[in-house]
Amino acid sequence: MFWRRKRTQGEFSEELQAHLELEADRLRGEGLSEEDAHAAAHRIVGNIMNIEERFYEANGWMWLDHLRQDVRYAMRQLRKNKGFTLVCALTLALGIGANTAVFTLVHAVMLKSLPVADPKSLYRIGDGGNCCVIGGYQGSHSIFSYALYRQLRDHTPEFAEIAAFSAGLDVVSVRRSGGQAMSQPFAGQCVSGDYFTMFGVAAYAGRALRRADDKPGAPPVAVMSYSTWQQHHALDPAVIGSTFVIDGTPVTVVGIAPPGFFGDTLRQDPPDFWIPLAVEPLMRGQNSLLKSDSHWLYLIGRLRPGAKPAAVQSELEVELKQWLTTQAGSQLTQVQKETIAKQRIRLTAGGRGIASMQREGSNTLKMLMMASGLVLLIAAANLATMLLARRAASRVQNAIRVALGAPRRRLILQSLTESVLLALVGGVAGLAVAFAGTRAILLLAFHGAKYVPIDSAPSWPVLGFAFLLSLVTGIVFGSLPAWISSHADPLNDLRGGNRSTGAHATLPQKCLVVLQAALSLVLLSGAGVLTQSLRNVEHQKFGFETDGRLIVAVSPAFTGYAQSRITTIYQQLRERLEQIPGVRSAALSLYAPMTGNNWENSIAVEGRPFAAREEDRDYSSWVTVSPHYFQTLGVHLVRGRLLDERDTPASRAVAVVNETFVRKYFKNEDPIGRHFGQGEEKNKFAYEIVGVVQDAKHMNAYEPAWPFFYLPLMQASAKEWPEVARANYINFIEVYAPGKPATLAPLIRRTIAETEANLTVVDILTFEDLVSLNFNQERTMARLTSAFGLLALLLACVGLYGLTAYSVARRTGEIGIRMALGAARGRVLSMVLRDALVLIAIGLAIGIPAELAVGRLLASQLYGVKSYDPLALGGAVVLLAGCALVAGLLPARRAAAIEPMQALRTE
Amino acid sequence: MLTREEKDRVALLQGTLDLLILRTLLYGPQHGQGIARAIQDQSEDVLLVDHGALYPALQRLETKGWISAKWGISTNNRKARFYSLTKSGRKQLAQETSQWRKMAGAIARVLGPETMEG
Repeated sequence: MFWRRKRTQGEFSEELQAHLELEADRLRGEGLSEEDAHAAAHRIVGNIMNIEERFYEANGWMWLDHLRQDVRYAMRQLRKNKGFTLVCALTLALGIGANTAVFTLVHAVMLKSLPVADPKSLYRIGDGGNCCVIGGYQGSHSIFSYALYRQLRDHTPEFAEIAAFSAGLDVVSVRRSGGQAMSQPFAGQCVSGDYFTMFGVAAYAGRALRRADDKPGAPPVAVMSYSTWQQHHALDPAVIGSTFVIDGTPVTVVGIAPPGFFGDTLRQDPPDFWIPLAVEPLMRGQNSLLKSDSHWLYLIGRLRPGAKPAAVQSELEVELKQWLTTQAGSQLTQVQKETIAKQRIRLTAGGRGIASMQREGSNTLKMLMMASGLVLLIAAANLATMLLARRAASRVQNAIRVALGAPRRRLILQSLTESVLLALVGGVAGLAVAFAGTRAILLLAFHGAKYVPIDSAPSWPVLGFAFLLSLVTGIVFGSLPAWISSHADPLNDLRGGNRSTGAHATLPQKCLVVLQAALSLVLLSGAGVLTQSLRNVEHQKFGFETDGRLIVAVSPAFTGYAQSRITTIYQQLRERLEQIPGVRSAALSLYAPMTGNNWENSIAVEGRPFAAREEDRDYSSWVTVSPHYFQTLGVHLVRGRLLDERDTPASRAVAVVNETFVRKYFKNEDPIGRHFGQGEEKNKFAYEIVGVVQDAKHMNAYEPAWPFFYLPLMQASAKEWPEVARANYINFIEVYAPGKPATLAPLIRRTIAETEANLTVVDILTFEDLVSLNFNQERTMARLTSAFGLLALLLACVGLYGLTAYSVARRTGEIGIRMALGAARGRVLSMVLRDALVLIAIGLAIGIPAELAVGRLLASQLYGVKSYDPLALGGAVVLLAGCALVAGLLPARRAAAIEPMQALRTE
Repeated sequence: MLTREEKDRVALLQGTLDLLILRTLLYGPQHGQGIARAIQDQSEDVLLVDHGALYPALQRLETKGWISAKWGISTNNRKARFYSLTKSGRKQLAQETSQWRKMAGAIARVLGPETMEG
C-alpha cells in the first residue's frame, strides 16, 4: 500500500531532530550544560545518517528514485544519440507494428465475443459450417428446419430463449416505397422474433424485432443495420417507420440495430436487413423454406443460470431422435432406425456466434503470427546488436563506474532501463504502423467487400498487447548487452584503450547476425513457396476460359410467376444480351463456376447397383444452364452435342456430363445415349446423356474436378414444375464479349432491367476478377509473407552493415598497421568482406534446414509446389547473399580506403 | 567505552521491541523519544533501548496499521511526531502479551529455581 508510506525523507529528519532536542531537554533537566546535553543526546541516539539511511531503505521508495535516475539518464543518452535512437525505434516500430496489426486481427476474429449481452451464457445448438440449405440426416446436426427448431425450442426449458436464423444470407432486392429509385441488392437474413431479445441487443433507434412480429399474419416488419442506415440513408430518422419493398413484399422498417452489431456471424458484408421468419413465405412464395423439410436455420440460445450444458446436450439429442422417428412415421425401415440412432447434436459455446471465419481463418492467422513473430525477432536482434555496439563504445566510461564500486545490479538495471525505454518508444511508433497495417491487411483479405465489421483502430487489449510486447522485447533483448556491460573488466578496459583485434569481442553480435540471416531465409523462401503456390492455383487449367467473359450475379424475385412466363423472360434476356454490339454470346445458369455454390445429389446410374444406404450411393454435382452456356464460358465439347434450343419441356429430358462423371460411372464405356436420374432408383432413366464436356472446376480450385452434370434450364414438365422451380431460378448470367468486356457493364445492366424488373443485378464482374476473388486468403498470405520477408531481409542487412561498419571502426588502428606493413588494399577489402560473408553463410546453413521444417507445416496449403521448392529456396539464398554482399561491401570499401598514417595517428 | 552502569543493562530480545512499543502506547499518544524513555524508565533502566533501532520498528508498526502518527506539541512545547495505538494495534497487543507471558512462564519453568546460578 503505497499511500501509507508517503513520508518524505525531510519529514523523517525533522522527527529525528525533535527526538534529539527532547533528549537534550531531558538531560538539561538532569543538570547538564547546554553543550554537554547536546553531545550526550547525539551519543544516545546514535549515528543520524545511519538511521536516516535505514529509514530510506525501509521506506520502499529507493527503487523509484533509482528508476527515476535511470530513466533520466537513459533519456539523456537517447537524446544525445539521435541517429541511434531513430534507427532503433524505427526497427522496433516495424517489428512491433507488424505483430500488433496481426494481433488486432487475431483479437477481432479469434478472441472477441459478439457485441451482445453476457456472451458467456450463449450456446450454439450444433457445430461446424454446414450451409445453407440441406436435407436428410446430418450425423452431427448443425442446421435445422423450422419445424425441428420449434420442437427443440418448445421442449428444452433449460434455455431462456432459442433464436433461429437463416444460415446463409440472401441477396434481396430492396427499394424504398414511393421513391423513384430502382431496386438495389442488399443482404437479408430471416430471423426468429426473439433474435434480438435472445442476444440482449436493443435497437439503436426505433425498436428491435419482437416475438409478435414473427406470427403468421403479423404486419411485415424489418430491422435495418446501422451501417446501411449510415451509407444509404445518411442516418435519416424518417427511415424508421417507412415502408421498403423487399423482394416484392412491402415491409415496415421499425428500427435500426446498434452500430457495432453485425448479427450472429463475423463476416464481410453482414446483413443489411433482419426480417422475421414469418415474412419469409411472403417474399419467397412457393419456394418458401419455412414449411419445407429442408434444414436452413442455425440455432443459438441463452442457457438459464445453473443449467448444465452436457445435460442439455443429451436432452437435445433425445428430442432430435424422437422427432426424426416421428417424422419417418410408419415407413420407418431398419436402416433408418440405425441411422437415427447415430444422429448427434453438439452444444458448443455461442459467445462468438457462428464461428465460420474463426474456422476458415485460423490457419492463415497462425501463419501470419509466425511470420510477424520472426520479423520481430530479427528487429529485436538488431536492437541488441546496436546496444552491444554502443556499450562497447562506452567501455571506458563503464570501466570507471565498475572501478568506483557501482553495484552490478544497478548497472544491469540502468542498461535495461535504456533498452526498455527504446522498446517503448518503438512500441508507440509501432501503433501507427499497426493501424496502417491492419487497414492494409483488411483491404487485402476482404478484397471486394463493401463493409467489414472489424475495427482497425487499436482497442484496449491491442494497446495492452503492444505495451507488453515492447516491454518483453526491451527486457529480453536488452538483457544480453546489460549483462555484458555489468561484467566489464575495468583493469583491462582502462589499460587497453581502443586497441582490439575484435576477434571474440563481437561474438554475441555475430551470433545475432547469423540468427537474423537464418530467420530471413526462412521467411523469404516461405514467401516464395506461397507465392509460387498462389500463381499455380490461379493460373491452373480450370477447364473454362476467363478471357473476355463477364459474370453478372442476379437475384430473381419470381414468386408467383408461371413457368411459361419465366421461359419467355429467359429467352428474351439471352436474345437481347446477344444483340448488344460486341457481345458474341450470352447464357444463364443456376450457378457459375467458382462462385462458391452448386447443388449435389445422389444419383441412380443405369447399369450400376443402387445402394440402400444414402451415403453409399453415387453422387454428382449439377447445375441448370441455358443454351450457349458452354460456348460462352469456353468449356469444350468432348463427345456428342451441347445443350441448345431443342431441349424444351416437350422434348426428352437430357443432360451433358463432364469427363470425371464418365470416368467414374461409365468407365471404358460410351456414355452417349445412356441414362441416369436423381435420388430414387425409380428415377434411373430420367435423363439421357447427349454430350460430354471437358472437366471445369466449379467449387474447389485445389481439388480435381468433381463428377458433374448439366441440365437444360426450364426443361421441366408442368407436373414437375412446382418441385423443381427453385433449380430454374437463375443466379448468374454469363456474357462473352472479346475485347473490353468491362465497358459493357452499364449496357448489360440496363438491358436486364428493361427485360425484367424483378431480376436485380447484384454485381457485374469480369470472370478473371471473380476467379481471383476465390484466392483472397491465399493472396493475403503470399503478399504479407513476402512483405514480412522483405522487411526481414532489410533488417538483417542493416544488422550486418552495422556490425561490419562497427568492427571496421574498431579495427581502424589494426588495419592501419597491416597496411603500413604492406597489406594491399584488395586484401583488406577481402578480409573485411570475408568476415561478413562467413556470418551469412553460417546463417544460411542454419536457415535451410529450418526452412525445410517450416515448409512441411505449409505443405497442406500448397498447390503444385513441393514444400521444399528449390526455386523458392535458391531464390531466397541468392537474394539474401546479394543483399549481404552490398551490406558488407560498403564498410569493407571504407576499410580499404584507410590511410595508414592517419589511422595510426588517431590512436 | 561503556560505563559500568550501561554494562548491567540487557539488550532487547529480537521482536520484543514491537511489543514494548505497543504496551507503552497503551497509556496514550507518545513521541519517539518519549517511547524510548518510557521503556527504559519502566524497566528501571534494565532494558537498553537503541534509539536508532526504534524508528525502523515504528515504521514497521505503522505500515502494519497497528499504530498511527500525527504531528503535535510536546509537554515542553516542542513540535514532535506523536504515535498512538489503533484498534487493530490493541488487539495485537493483547495477543502478543498473552503469548509472551506463556513463553516467559515456560522458559522460567525449564530453567528451574534461581539457585541454579553459578
